[in-house]
Amino acid sequence: MGLPALVGRPLDERTTTRLVGGGFASAFLAAVLALGLLLARHFNPTVVHLGTWFHVGHHAATIELVADALSIPYVCFSTGLCVLINAFAGKYLHREPGFTRFFVLLALFGTGMNLLVLAGSIDVLFAGWEFVGISSALLIGFFQDRATAAVAALRAFITYRICDAALLVAGVVMHSVSGSGDFERAFSGNWPHATCLLDPTVATVIALLLVFAALGKSGQVPFSGWLPRAMEGPTPSSAIFYGALSIHAGAYLLLRCEAILEAAPVAAWLLVAIGTGTALHASLVGSVQSDLKSMLAYASMTQAGIILAEIGLGLRVVPLIHVVSHAILRSLQILRSPSALHDRHELAAALGGNPTPASRSFVRLLPEPARAFLYRVALERGYEEMAVDRLVIQPVLAVLETAARMERGFVAWLAGQGQRRRGGARR
Amino acid sequence: MNAAAGQLAALGVAVTVPAIGAVLARVGPLAPVARIVGIVSGVVSALAALVLVAMWQAHDGSPTAWGDSLAGGSLVFIDGLTAMAVPYVALVFLAITVAAPRRTLDSESVPRLLAGSAGTIALMGTAHPVALVILWVVTALPTWSGTRSAQGGGPAARVYALAMAAATAFLAVGVVLLVRDPPWQPGSGPVGNVGGWLVAIAVMMRKGIVPFHSWYPALYSGGAFGAALAATMPHIAAATAIRLLVGHAGGVSAELVFLAQAALVTTAYAAALAVVQRDLRGLVGTLALSQSSLVLAGLAGTLPTELCGALAVWISSGLSLTGMGLVAWSIESRAGPVSLETLQGRAADAPTLSGFFLLFGLASLGVPGTLSFVADDLIVSGSLDDRLHAGLLVIAGTVFAGIAVLRGWVRVFGGPAPAHRPPHPILPRERLVFTSLMVVLLVLGLWPGPLVHSLEQIAGSLVAQRGSDTPLPAGNDHPHR
Repeated sequence: MGLPALVGRPLDERTTTRLVGGGFASAFLAAVLALGLLLARHFNPTVVHLGTWFHVGHHAATIELVADALSIPYVCFSTGLCVLINAFAGKYLHREPGFTRFFVLLALFGTGMNLLVLAGSIDVLFAGWEFVGISSALLIGFFQDRATAAVAALRAFITYRICDAALLVAGVVMHSVSGSGDFERAFSGNWPHATCLLDPTVATVIALLLVFAALGKSGQVPFSGWLPRAMEGPTPSSAIFYGALSIHAGAYLLLRCEAILEAAPVAAWLLVAIGTGTALHASLVGSVQSDLKSMLAYASMTQAGIILAEIGLGLRVVPLIHVVSHAILRSLQILRSPSALHDRHELAAALGGNPTPASRSFVRLLPEPARAFLYRVALERGYEEMAVDRLVIQPVLAVLETAARMERGFVAWLAGQGQRRRGGARR
Repeated sequence: MNAAAGQLAALGVAVTVPAIGAVLARVGPLAPVARIVGIVSGVVSALAALVLVAMWQAHDGSPTAWGDSLAGGSLVFIDGLTAMAVPYVALVFLAITVAAPRRTLDSESVPRLLAGSAGTIALMGTAHPVALVILWVVTALPTWSGTRSAQGGGPAARVYALAMAAATAFLAVGVVLLVRDPPWQPGSGPVGNVGGWLVAIAVMMRKGIVPFHSWYPALYSGGAFGAALAATMPHIAAATAIRLLVGHAGGVSAELVFLAQAALVTTAYAAALAVVQRDLRGLVGTLALSQSSLVLAGLAGTLPTELCGALAVWISSGLSLTGMGLVAWSIESRAGPVSLETLQGRAADAPTLSGFFLLFGLASLGVPGTLSFVADDLIVSGSLDDRLHAGLLVIAGTVFAGIAVLRGWVRVFGGPAPAHRPPHPILPRERLVFTSLMVVLLVLGLWPGPLVHSLEQIAGSLVAQRGSDTPLPAGNDHPHR
């Protein structure tokens, strides 16, 4: 789809949706078939070696997929959801400029998600992880003419990029210590009862890096600032990315590498602390949001935090069920959000009154000054973004700006211009 | 005709056709159609380069040497590096010639471009120390001249001239000392070692390694875009370092290790600077500086993985940044200088250019499915295995570069577009060049096996030469003379 668009002959809408929908449907059917086969084998995992992508000396990037009790049910769920979102988006974005772009990115996301879920090596997982991140950021900025969308896309991408570096380092460390990125070299046994084969210190380092990577993708404190802004994207992509699949990619990563996490209690407890803290933070901040999509974003963040805390506590099947149920509910809510007022009016008319009575929050039990304080904190989004901006972003930018200014001054001096002069020849 | 003679003939065509084209485009009846002369010369040169690769691969892969020899370096020397670099250089120059704005390709600029192409290809096919010095001058002159003749390009030309003159002087003195007292021979004294260090400083200057990097952003900001791309993308200094420094000692020479460390710092520093650039030219310039340094950073690696990664970065970063620079030039030629300080909203009037800019940007960042993913994977793995801090600097560089690319894309193409701005559709020749470059990057990224295998052979030979006491060029030792 991308190449015809690049050479100036984009496919029409119907062909585009059918191509992407056909791809997702095929993937879904294949996943269901694989699930049937896996059930027949009593969930005995199968590792599929698709060959070596490239290799130099002892370093080999292998393409290895794994079909086990974690990956196959998850890929059934993710591809099924992609089929539904594709059908919804075909109607929702009809005649929208950038229609082809949306579906190219959706297909890229679907490919990335399947690679991530089915990966049997950290190389393949990283490739899928990158696809998910890039398509996510580009879809946040889908409406290119909106300044807020452009800025939100950039913020999401920066967060991803920083956290992805941790996954890259984790992969390289894994290569370095086990000679390969294959998961079977790092842990053995069937999910969820795998045993870590790595040295405890190495396992702790890798687990901390994986937790760091997961925090960014799942919008956890202190990397949560991008998530509410991500709702600038089209509703179908918001639903599948931040209600369903992308936000749980971090949880999936940690579930896949649960054996490493289990061998690293420091990382596990850190995860519990951050997950719980994020859940409290997002729950508080979400309660004062004045628009529906922001509320849903914080609700997603809350649940993602709880899921990560569950993983940190050593649970395996519970977080998986939590992921699936939360993803289905949240994506439905986001897909319905553009029609929320209409729905509410219909419901109120049918019930003859307010369909959603005011919630009874524990905050009501607090004294007035404490409530006012919490309200202020919630309105300022827990001062999280402000702290990140002041403590990290602004100092880094100040240093870089100073360096750039000195560079320009030096070049001007070399050029015999004395003072800094911007611009120059244009030919 | 035997294989060695065929390789020599192909290299000869790849060098002489652009050189003749330069003369024809400057004087005589073909001067009015200089652009056509440039394109035809570029196509013939690129085809000859491909023939050279095919013949080298069909051969047993051993180097071919011909002509006069000095300190082990032959006048014409065709090895794996030549087979990789010559088609790459020919492709880059052809892409620039075809995609450049038509008004910039006249009977003055085309000869400069062709002369630069001929000189650069010749440099990739020699290991003779004196020839290298002469070709440094030959390849620097067209860039200097093109920058100087650009409107307001005087200051940039001055900075470039200062850097190149100093670099060439260091190289010349270093080569004289190396030849007088070859450090790779038993019983050599300190003179040769001093020569090696002078060559290393020359390479740093020519490559724009910190602290000698100032000419890089100056050239991009103040000169002609085409001249800047043509000067920086071929990695002349990296080729020189391989010819003169690799194999200098019975391991990795101290100069090369120092060069690699400085290049690593440059990679991260330039990528960080790219994040705060105020205009599009500055962004492309700093990204080019960062990525090109990565090539040199990998050359001191002791593992084939790292060396192979460096060579892969050579190709991937060169092609993707050439594409990105050409897209930026296309936008600038239509809309004037592009600021990055606010959102410019150019996606509305140049949607296809927006797509290509993003694709080339992503292709330079190690995105899976493109050649840069393979290159980054190899260089990061190799450097982390070899030296932990090196790998971490490379990763820091890729993080900053990624942020810079997306910031640039968002600032140029994102945001509301002013009303009544005219559309800027992509031209067919631009689409042809950009699509071709993108297809090359994607095909090599999705099926990297054959390329990586060839690069592994080259890297393996470099590592092997380090282990021996012979200098790298070793033109005298081979039977095809």
